[in-house]
Amino acid sequence: MIKIKYENVVKQFPGSDHLAVDNLNMEVHEGEICILVGPSGCGKTTSMKMTNRIFEHTSGHIYIDGIDNRDINPIQLRLGIGYVIQEIGLFPHMSIADNVATVLVEKKWPKNKIRQRVDEMLNLVGLDPKIYSHRRPSGLSGGQRQRVGVARALASDPPVMLMDEPFGAVDPITRARLQNEFLRLQEQMKKTIIFVTHDIDEAIKMGDRIAVMRHGQLVQYATPDDLLSMPANEFVSSLVGGNRSIKRLNLIRVEDIERYSPPTVAEGDSKIKVAEAVEDSKLGVALVVDDQGKLIGTVTSTDLKRNGDYVKDIYSEAHDLVGLESTLRDTLSIMLGYGEGYALAVDQDGKPRGAVSVDDIFSAVKDNE
Amino acid sequence: MNRQNLIWITASFLLSVATIFYFVNNPGGKMAARLLNFETITKAYQQHILMVFVASAAAIIVSVSLGILITRPFFSQWAPIVDNIVNIAQTIPSLAILALFFTYLGRGFSTAVFALWLYALLPILRNTSAGIQNISPGIIEAARGMGMSNLHILTRIELPLALPVIMGGIRTSAVITVGAAALASFIGAGGLGDLIVTGLTVSRNTLVVAGGILSALLAIFLDQVLDLIENSLRVRQ
Amino acid sequence: MSQTLWDFFVTRQDMLLGLVLEHVGIVLLAVAIAIVIGVTLGLLSSYYLTLASIILPFTQIMMTVPSIALLALFIPIFGTGFLNGLIGLVVYSLLPIVRNTYIGIKEIDKGIIEAAQGMGMSERRILLKVKIPLALPVILAGVRTATVMVTGIAAIVSAVGAGGLGELIFRGIARTYRDMIIAGTILISLLGIAADYGLKAAERSLTKHQC
Repeated sequence: MIKIKYENVVKQFPGSDHLAVDNLNMEVHEGEICILVGPSGCGKTTSMKMTNRIFEHTSGHIYIDGIDNRDINPIQLRLGIGYVIQEIGLFPHMSIADNVATVLVEKKWPKNKIRQRVDEMLNLVGLDPKIYSHRRPSGLSGGQRQRVGVARALASDPPVMLMDEPFGAVDPITRARLQNEFLRLQEQMKKTIIFVTHDIDEAIKMGDRIAVMRHGQLVQYATPDDLLSMPANEFVSSLVGGNRSIKRLNLIRVEDIERYSPPTVAEGDSKIKVAEAVEDSKLGVALVVDDQGKLIGTVTSTDLKRNGDYVKDIYSEAHDLVGLESTLRDTLSIMLGYGEGYALAVDQDGKPRGAVSVDDIFSAVKDNE
Repeated sequence: MNRQNLIWITASFLLSVATIFYFVNNPGGKMAARLLNFETITKAYQQHILMVFVASAAAIIVSVSLGILITRPFFSQWAPIVDNIVNIAQTIPSLAILALFFTYLGRGFSTAVFALWLYALLPILRNTSAGIQNISPGIIEAARGMGMSNLHILTRIELPLALPVIMGGIRTSAVITVGAAALASFIGAGGLGDLIVTGLTVSRNTLVVAGGILSALLAIFLDQVLDLIENSLRVRQ
Repeated sequence: MSQTLWDFFVTRQDMLLGLVLEHVGIVLLAVAIAIVIGVTLGLLSSYYLTLASIILPFTQIMMTVPSIALLALFIPIFGTGFLNGLIGLVVYSLLPIVRNTYIGIKEIDKGIIEAAQGMGMSERRILLKVKIPLALPVILAGVRTATVMVTGIAAIVSAVGAGGLGELIFRGIARTYRDMIIAGTILISLLGIAADYGLKAAERSLTKHQC
């Protein structure tokens, strides 16, 4: 379902001779994160801010749920859209709780409902309300302030959110953490989000669809994978940067590809039995599982040379493990780290769910082209 | 800072009382004694304080409103013009305003209050617009983007954040007004300046000095009280 | 301008010129003295914290005292006349100059001072070659504030016999002579505006070599 539609949207600022946004045509699907990315001055922030009419578009239409946003009272429009800007803009004279409650107060929610919701939101972004509710923004670190900014935007549970470099002002480690947490939230919330960034890696990581902009124009609007494998022109491919194939490995997860299931043995099995299994195994490895089916070790031809009659005497601990949601890039990294030609996938309970070999990774990239 | 304020507040009060008692008991001549008695001095204080209070209160209402007005978006093109007018107006001495109003409206208390009000407008106007304009634009944009109405942005964000600066303007204005009110005696408005002006006319130093000390202490007292208020507003942020 | 006012300016030119010169004279002299005393005090304050904690609040308090009151208090000491007015104006010029000198020096990036020390400059050389030049814009702004302010306050010194354009206002009140008052007001204002723009231009030319 199309949630937001930009139709021939143009923006020219008074006193300027060029178009800040030049004929933007784009449809954003409900529940998706649409990234606007490009060099500074490309019109991405302006486009985002026209959605809630902080800037008024010069011509064209922006439809939200099929309604032209010019036909809605701007205050009502904005109360229904979450807004997170680069400067964050927390109110320094109010407590964190009052900051988060802003829209709820504007919507005249009853006081006890507000209190409850504020605590809920703070917990959601990982800030303990008992500690942070009464503090002032000046007493928080940059990362904490950005979390409060997000909590404030989420408070009234708006279906649409506008976010302009929301994780920009922190160090890369904190940023990665905030991004992961937000993605996890989005999995539950499924909001329609317009997300502006200048960082192409953030765009690829966070976006369901990416709109590349330059000089006010939309250059390419595609999924991250399509963007990487089929850049529309030289600008896009240079924006995306080198190592495109490796970047694409970031998009495919272990659970997405077909995997070979190595044979399994139990601790109590005999050495002879496991030797047979190892020989049959395509990768030359047999998996040792406990009575609950959990992976506890591996046996390769090297292990068979050890002394002992039973599996439990000879097996090695399994170390090259990846989760089902891990990306192929992380998987390749682990393989290289351990010097093995494969990595073993396990699920949340620790049960083996197949092996990923280097060949599997190659085929996966090729298949997607 | 608060402790220093309190010290000066009590000191100026006590010194005033001491000065009054000293001069009432040592007027230095019959002519001076006519003014240096409790009744006259009390009346002078009343007039002085009333002048300052009325002029300031009226100035606050008008200036803060004007200050809010000129910081609204549709006014932004007029801002430099207003700035220039304010700059020029500040070069006119309070004495001149008092004198001019005197020629149009005659002697007396109400003329002086009118003149004092006009003169008190500027510092408050300046600080109101500066205080509002100094608010980080990101804060205002966040408020607007979230759907806050313009009225709420003004009352819940702009005014509370600009308040310490506005208070500073009120303080500057009040101190200037106390000084200007001392000059109002020249146009017959009464107040502590009477002691000084009469003293100058009849060449009696006791009058001049008494008037000087008392009006100086009043100014210091008021300044410290308002400083206390300004500081307490700042700390709250 | 009304006819009578214009006539007033024309017929009394000589007197007016004399008063303007008196006014300008006392202002310039007061500011000059205040610069010497004020910059010195400001510099000393930047070195000695105890001095700063006395001087700065003291000048602050002096600013709140009504000008007529200060002049009145000087009468037993200096009598009436030029000296009284001059000393009064010096006191009022002091605060902006002392404070701006102090702040101007204090606000210099500590890294610059450290670099200078590291290069082997003595404190005296640093003061002359680094601190004062860098603080100059702020100090000049203080001189400008003081001058404009004192141009207005000088209107009052006629009350204690120091002359100046204030004469026009006081005599104007005594005789209810509106044109005289207006003439005085306009002249004082013009002097203040001229001082403001003139000193702004001087500030710009003196600091244009700074990045």
